[in-house]
Amino acid sequence: MLSSVISYFPTWDVWLQAAIACLVPIVASFVYKKTYSLAGKGRNPNTAENKKDPDPPAPNNSPFSGDYATDLATIRERIGGNSDLCSREFRMAKLNVRATLFFVTGMQNDRVLDLQLMEFLMFEAGADVYAEPERLHDQLPFNNLFEAPSLDSFNRSVLFGYTGLLIEGQPSGLLIECPDGANRAVQEPLSEGLLRGPRLSFTEMLSVNTSMLRRQGLSEQLEIKTFQVGTRLQKDLALAYIKDIVNPDLLEEVKARIQKMDFDFIAESGYIEELIEDNYLSPFQQLQNTERPDRVIAAMLEGRIAILLDGTPFVLIAPATFSMLLQSPEDYYERWLPSSLLRMLRFAAAFMALMAPSLYISFISFHPGLIPTELALSIIEARQGVPFPSLIEVLILEVSIEILREAGIRLPKPVGPAMGIVGGLIIGDAAVQAGLVSPFLVIVVAVTAISSFSIPSYSAGITLRLLRFVGMIFAAFLGMFGTILFFLLLCSHLTKLKSFGVPYLTPVSPFRPRDWKDLFFRAPRALMKRRPAMMKTQDDKRKS
Amino acid sequence: MFIRTDDRITTSQAIVFMTNTILGAGILTMPRNVTQATKTPDAWVAVLLGGIIVIPVILLMVKLSQQFPGQTIFQYANRIVGRLPGKAFCLLLVCYFLIIAGFEIRSLAEVTLFFLLEGTPIWAVVLPFIWVGAYLVSGGINAIARVYQIVFPISMFVLLISFAVSSRVFDIDNLRPVLGDGFIPVLAGLRATIPVFVGYEVILTLVAFMENPRQAAKAMIGGLAILLAVYLITVIFVVGGISIDSAMTSTWPTLDLIRSFEISGFFVERLEFPLMVIWLMQMFCSFCSFFFQSSLGVAQIFNLSYQPVIFAMVPIILLSTMVPKSLQDLLLLGDMIGMMNISLFLLLVLLTVVWLIRTKGMKQHV
Repeated sequence: MLSSVISYFPTWDVWLQAAIACLVPIVASFVYKKTYSLAGKGRNPNTAENKKDPDPPAPNNSPFSGDYATDLATIRERIGGNSDLCSREFRMAKLNVRATLFFVTGMQNDRVLDLQLMEFLMFEAGADVYAEPERLHDQLPFNNLFEAPSLDSFNRSVLFGYTGLLIEGQPSGLLIECPDGANRAVQEPLSEGLLRGPRLSFTEMLSVNTSMLRRQGLSEQLEIKTFQVGTRLQKDLALAYIKDIVNPDLLEEVKARIQKMDFDFIAESGYIEELIEDNYLSPFQQLQNTERPDRVIAAMLEGRIAILLDGTPFVLIAPATFSMLLQSPEDYYERWLPSSLLRMLRFAAAFMALMAPSLYISFISFHPGLIPTELALSIIEARQGVPFPSLIEVLILEVSIEILREAGIRLPKPVGPAMGIVGGLIIGDAAVQAGLVSPFLVIVVAVTAISSFSIPSYSAGITLRLLRFVGMIFAAFLGMFGTILFFLLLCSHLTKLKSFGVPYLTPVSPFRPRDWKDLFFRAPRALMKRRPAMMKTQDDKRKS
Repeated sequence: MFIRTDDRITTSQAIVFMTNTILGAGILTMPRNVTQATKTPDAWVAVLLGGIIVIPVILLMVKLSQQFPGQTIFQYANRIVGRLPGKAFCLLLVCYFLIIAGFEIRSLAEVTLFFLLEGTPIWAVVLPFIWVGAYLVSGGINAIARVYQIVFPISMFVLLISFAVSSRVFDIDNLRPVLGDGFIPVLAGLRATIPVFVGYEVILTLVAFMENPRQAAKAMIGGLAILLAVYLITVIFVVGGISIDSAMTSTWPTLDLIRSFEISGFFVERLEFPLMVIWLMQMFCSFCSFFFQSSLGVAQIFNLSYQPVIFAMVPIILLSTMVPKSLQDLLLLGDMIGMMNISLFLLLVLLTVVWLIRTKGMKQHV
């Protein structure tokens, strides 16, 4: 009895395996936590509760002295070193006081400046204007007129492009005329091409972008709130949402996270994304970026929040869920049956873009018996001359495709097609001729590449491109079993992931049958009477 | 609240959790166990009867758990029978879960090594599987339930398709005569069918995690009903497809059924491959359930925090996987698990009786 029990006692190599089994997750979780805290440095914990940081101390607020000569000297001393700063001193004729205009060249409309502003200030502005100095705001006929609270903000604004006006006898400087720097024209969205729908895309100007949102329709509920972000170079950031739809808790959370961003310069909305997302070690994007106003407004009507940043045409939508990455606004513009088909096609394409090479590796290297015999025979025949194991073979082709794609984005337009031909020829034909890869693999890789092009969002596409390589490694070690493990790992990760508290895989899991109407299918509009349940909106009826 | 921090599962998640926990190795092996016990084509009657017998057991567990809202068995056992006996009972339960977890992985490894990865060392299959499981389990019950919600529809879809296609080899005569030898073989079959439902002990912790514990009975019976339907279909199609004699002798009868025919003109000629895929995923779910239960148990019995316990559980599960030396040992272990299941149930009945005496008889506040 005892001996038979003892014979079941694990041998030393099992104990060794147990030790390894225990060590690997501990080490992995330790490394994960270290990286997480390393990547999270400079970021505050992201809950709404502990957001009550004291406001950063305002940078040395030196007020205006009120004395014209002193202020003028101070301004000249502080920013006079800039060679693009013009200051024009003149005398206001009717009042007989001195005044100075400050502006940066190239950021003002010169005609307006010369003909209207100067003329008015020098010759027309009279005693009636100047009678009540404290009511000067009301008296000067300018649309944009602010009183600078301090010398520093006056200096900053002038350098940012405002026209500064300093008048003798006035307590502080005035800012008139907003900056009017170089800006490009409104174009078609480049990263999200479309056939049907508004061909409008955001530009680099925040005011233009917000106006585009406003122009989508008349509503008093569309609210846009501006924040200043960046500690060294400050920029405007706007939150746009529909006041009576958005969930107030969500709004608070987004605001809290925006206000806690601590970085000296927010160059692009990608910076924001990285600073406010829930899990920054995840390969999946937790905010959606888009340059199409129609997509943004549709998301806002679903109860989401748009984050617009000055200086970039890419607007963030929070929260994002997995299904959004595979949806295109055109699904809603075209008829619902073909749209549903296209959407399912995209899901299939995403699956292929992710899995096709791993399936190839596991079938070819591990289980040729599982595919039809003739197919297996022809594939093996075609692979006769290939000297590499299938992983290396796939890697050669996949990596070169990725390089080709990356190069294609960076190349100047006239060179692009030439490279496409060269790259396509070399990869498609010559590699097979040279016996580097098998022709069947060329098909697989081509299908993968085409599939990944069909994903509407570029950011989602690169995530899948990255994960494809991980899947290939899993498949190379454990074949089909490894591929399934990879899929399960991905599922486990996705189910843990949240974007601003919304589970990433909603509505698949947690299961929300109401939202399935707009998942694989795009149900006819008559059926989509309510907003997505996952957003927990204040008002969820789309039809009265 | 928009951002939720509580770890609760919905009723539908509870149903899927219940189904996925039990639906593991059984799909592939159950027809053999049952037919060996009945030795007549009435195996499906035995399965049906087994399922019906399990219902009151489930109800008992649900009712007991509902008396302690928000608490798992690991927390309320102490309150019923006192600290030490309670802990001892809970430890037994944890050991039981660990043995099942090891059994599940071992069956998975055996099947994988036999069909997919011949010549691979067993640890290469087992270790990554446990690690991925640990990653999922560390996400708590919500993450686990969500993965189940993804896997379950896929596997049901593939399973039903496979059986539908296998109807071409289905021969109703294989199922006849119904009750030809009377009820005795069916009763003998019960010995094999009740262990098929091993794992319903998760109810003892699951109810505590439900958003609406009032619906627990409905959810658990619902989960059992789905399971029973799947098992019934499996046993009917396997026995009808490959006849009782082959079902009794083959190690993995369901796989044999699916391998017994080819579909030409399709990308995969034999549906054995998709079946293997969903079975592996289903095993993963089942395994994660037991992994979660045992980690939760240890954490709650000894008042430890949940995350480190998972790390400690990984090598223990590996050891439990490696204990059987051969396939025969494994099958023997399967039978033993059935016995343990029944003895645990008896202990639970004892627990309930103690609770009844203390609350109803002695009017104590437990």
